[in-house]
Amino acid sequence: MLDRVRLTYKQQRFETLAVAVSCLGAAAWAILASWHLNSVGVPASCMVGGSVPYWNGPSDSSWMAAACQLPSQRFTDALNSWDVGIVSSLGDVLPFFVGIAIGAPLVARELEQGTAPLSWALAGARWKWLAGKILAALLLIVPLLLIAGLAADVLRGAKEPGIDPHASFDYFTSRGVFFVLWGVAALMGTVALGTLYGRTMPVVMVALIACLFARATWEPLMDAYVLHGMAVLEMPGASSPGELLVYQSDVLYLDGKVYTGTECTLSNGVTACQVAPGDETDPSSFGPQQAWYVVTGDNYWRVVALESAIMLAGSAALGALALFWVGRRRPY
Amino acid sequence: MAGDPGAPIGTTALAAHGLSKRFGRKVALDAVDLAVPAGSVTALVGPNGAGKTTLIRVCMAFERPNSGGVEVDGVDPWKHRSEALRRVGYVPQTPAVYRGLSVEDHLSMARSLHSGFDASYARRRLEQLGIPLDQRADTLSGGQAAQLGLAVALGTRAKVLLLDEPLANLDPLARREFIQVLLDAVRSEGSTALLSSHIVTDVEDACDRLVILGGGKIRLDCPLEEARQTHRLTEADSPPPGATAVGSFLGKGGQKVMTLWRLATVANGEGAAHGAGGTGDAGPSPEAASLEDVVLGYLAAGRGAGLQLN
Amino acid sequence: MLARIRLTFKQHRFETMAVTIVCVALTATALVEAYRLNSLNVPLACLQTYQGGYMTVIGGPSQGPVTAAQAQCNELANSFFDMRRSLDMNLVQLLLLLVPLLAGIVVGAPLVAREIEQGTAPLSWALAGSRRRWLLGKVLAGVLLLASLMLAVGLAANVLEGALNPGLNPYASFSNYLGRGVMDVFWALAAFAGTFALGTILGRTMPAVVLALVVCFFARAAWDSGMTHFVLRPFAVQQVQQDQLQQQGYVVYGPGGPSTADLYVYYKSFIDGKEVTDAEVNAWYNLNMVCVPISTPTSSDSTSPAGTGSPGASSSPGGMPTPDESGVDSGVPCQNPTIDPSHMPQQVTYVIPGGWYWQTVALESGLLLLGSLFCGAIAFVWVDRRRPY
Repeated sequence: MLDRVRLTYKQQRFETLAVAVSCLGAAAWAILASWHLNSVGVPASCMVGGSVPYWNGPSDSSWMAAACQLPSQRFTDALNSWDVGIVSSLGDVLPFFVGIAIGAPLVARELEQGTAPLSWALAGARWKWLAGKILAALLLIVPLLLIAGLAADVLRGAKEPGIDPHASFDYFTSRGVFFVLWGVAALMGTVALGTLYGRTMPVVMVALIACLFARATWEPLMDAYVLHGMAVLEMPGASSPGELLVYQSDVLYLDGKVYTGTECTLSNGVTACQVAPGDETDPSSFGPQQAWYVVTGDNYWRVVALESAIMLAGSAALGALALFWVGRRRPY
Repeated sequence: MAGDPGAPIGTTALAAHGLSKRFGRKVALDAVDLAVPAGSVTALVGPNGAGKTTLIRVCMAFERPNSGGVEVDGVDPWKHRSEALRRVGYVPQTPAVYRGLSVEDHLSMARSLHSGFDASYARRRLEQLGIPLDQRADTLSGGQAAQLGLAVALGTRAKVLLLDEPLANLDPLARREFIQVLLDAVRSEGSTALLSSHIVTDVEDACDRLVILGGGKIRLDCPLEEARQTHRLTEADSPPPGATAVGSFLGKGGQKVMTLWRLATVANGEGAAHGAGGTGDAGPSPEAASLEDVVLGYLAAGRGAGLQLN
Repeated sequence: MLARIRLTFKQHRFETMAVTIVCVALTATALVEAYRLNSLNVPLACLQTYQGGYMTVIGGPSQGPVTAAQAQCNELANSFFDMRRSLDMNLVQLLLLLVPLLAGIVVGAPLVAREIEQGTAPLSWALAGSRRRWLLGKVLAGVLLLASLMLAVGLAANVLEGALNPGLNPYASFSNYLGRGVMDVFWALAAFAGTFALGTILGRTMPAVVLALVVCFFARAAWDSGMTHFVLRPFAVQQVQQDQLQQQGYVVYGPGGPSTADLYVYYKSFIDGKEVTDAEVNAWYNLNMVCVPISTPTSSDSTSPAGTGSPGASSSPGGMPTPDESGVDSGVPCQNPTIDPSHMPQQVTYVIPGGWYWQTVALESGLLLLGSLFCGAIAFVWVDRRRPY
């Protein structure tokens, strides 16, 4: 088996090298960017809700203590710098890049190059042959993406110094273990496509589009169908940093009580509810409010475990499809 | 097997001068001097790794020589590539077919790339062989794909045809058809062909000159008939007088080791034996070598000292 | 040449069809989404006064109740922004951003690399004689395909941009200008040229795709800041706010940010006509202004009436800033009535005005085209030198 793993890497040496360099490079870059942010040294007393307040320049000096102005400005500049920006956006693409780069040629290239008949003749059981290749791929990408994902967590922690990234849903599907999950899902999907279609380039194209859609729709679908039941109604003013906003209520608070939209309208006598003037220090005096159903940050690991299980199940299904199809298709 | 009388006599269609090519430490061609006469069909024979494909690739300007040079119909392909390639029809070692394109598409592609490509000529050749023009090229049999490659090469109406082991994967009938088509074209067009092949019987049928490459060097370069006449085959321990040993190999039946001898040539081109005691004194009369024996002898020489029987 | 172009499309039929289908579908989808937005017929004034969510505070808590007309206006604006934020709208915008680059890579990668991989390059190059002419025919086919498709996509993106930001002329606005219009064509051509150059050098399709994806990602990510820092900076002019508002149709929709016509490049601060640093401005404020400290808000605080927020700070529907945005309420500004406002620090923003859209697009397109030609030149030189296997 070790030989098979080694030879799989050798067969795809370019992709293996590219993926290793990308992941380790991105991780190093994220750590450097974190250091860049942390080195600004914003005092804890300057933080608002665990984050460094956005400093818009001198016109906002009405609320910020003098000692906080410059550090906040430097932090904001660092946050907006090109290196922090680019490495942050890597989190959305790197796992898919890794999964597709390794997965696409795994089967498709053997079919294209005409080596599949020989390999399959030697291997006997084609599913075992493919399982060996998939295992080699997983042994490569899982540790690499884990390193990159943890570095992304460190970067998130540096961007919001007062918030524990493992108790915050801020960009949680673009860091941490989600790097591994997305990478594995992309790998399995691409291998399945490669087994079905047997040509590398078309597989890459379809996989890119599929991954784009999967990434864009994941959070809305999770919010709508999985997390909907977990979300709790949150009183205005009771929000906590890092919570996940799942959906917005149509229920309107009025004087601290819950009213429907119709009741609100009738009580106000106009076609839409309006904010009544009130005391800023007394939330209940503000009249109708719209509230959010949220999942608080202390449920982080629960949500991650749940979404991980769903994603891993999907990956396993795609892998099973690939293992099934490889036994049926022609080797060219 | 002579060339078309219309071809210029005495001119060289393909020439190599001191041609050397190395790949790292491996020497593929070692100071090769070659002159392929115009109008001839020359067989290029040699063991695997002898340098046959490298020689053809240098002529096609695919490989740059380390020293020396080549001329194809008088044109150096490295200095004037387009001009040289216009004079060459090439059949690569593995049939080059575009997946998803039909046979007709291949002719269209050739026509769009090569000014002067005679698509109707190529089409006629294919129709004569019963190859459907609307069939996808990647669904053709090996023989049909080879014929498509040859038709494309012939369609260029080039003066020089370079064919890199085109018969290797063909069955005997397909080989026979391929050679026939090639010879028809060479005879009618007066072209020159350089055909590399392992299959000696095909060489015998098709070619009038023999070039044997071994270890990157030319071991033999002469007309086919001369090759037969100037070589003798004997058992290993009975040399003809005045002859030089070439190489030893197992004879037919696999029992006896036979040795190929090269005789000193005389002015009239006939082989003769020289040496003290006149002819025939050294032992049983040497057999006239067949072309296969000649090739085997040189191939064996390239591999070393030959076989020893227990 | 026509035959060569036709055969190139046939050789690469999967890529040709896939790119065509994706681009046509994307064009149609963008136009449909634009139509959906426009068919809401939301008066511009409603968008301009919209403060977010069902609950609005016109002018702040001190003003009187909302009228029925204003409430109706708010409902319409709310529908507009709900549609603007919808998943399908986001997907279309994401695809409009990515498709030009992906199309260029997909068409460019197999152009030379596949011929070398499949072993047809020796034959093609033998027939063609001139490898550069052979490559030119293939490149022309790719350029024709991409230019026509991307022009359609770019024009549809412009239409969508106009629908997403009513009141802004997309041809006099830098809002998302890199992802629409003729820029789409030049991004695609640049990706195409870079990728087929990589394919020519590497001779392998998949490695060319992998490298091209990485290069395109970095190029696209760095383009904005690179352009503003190095290319556009000398051309930036002082933004005249009032004129800007009147002439360029500057629209402020409220939280969620305006879509400005001008392209921000940099700013400078001045005190009494002398250029000063941000630290000096801070020091001046701390020395000269009397500020009323307010209770420190959390970054996601919603004690303030829903819908309030400093301009430029994005927020969720309902006016509640999301935890990551670190936006803060501006609260009560510092003041010192004894100071002549002309002696206060002035911030001057330097921009490329929206009216210079075409000149800027021409400049950036030209740079992309230069890059494409450079990559193409590398490919043309290399194809002549490399071995066909």
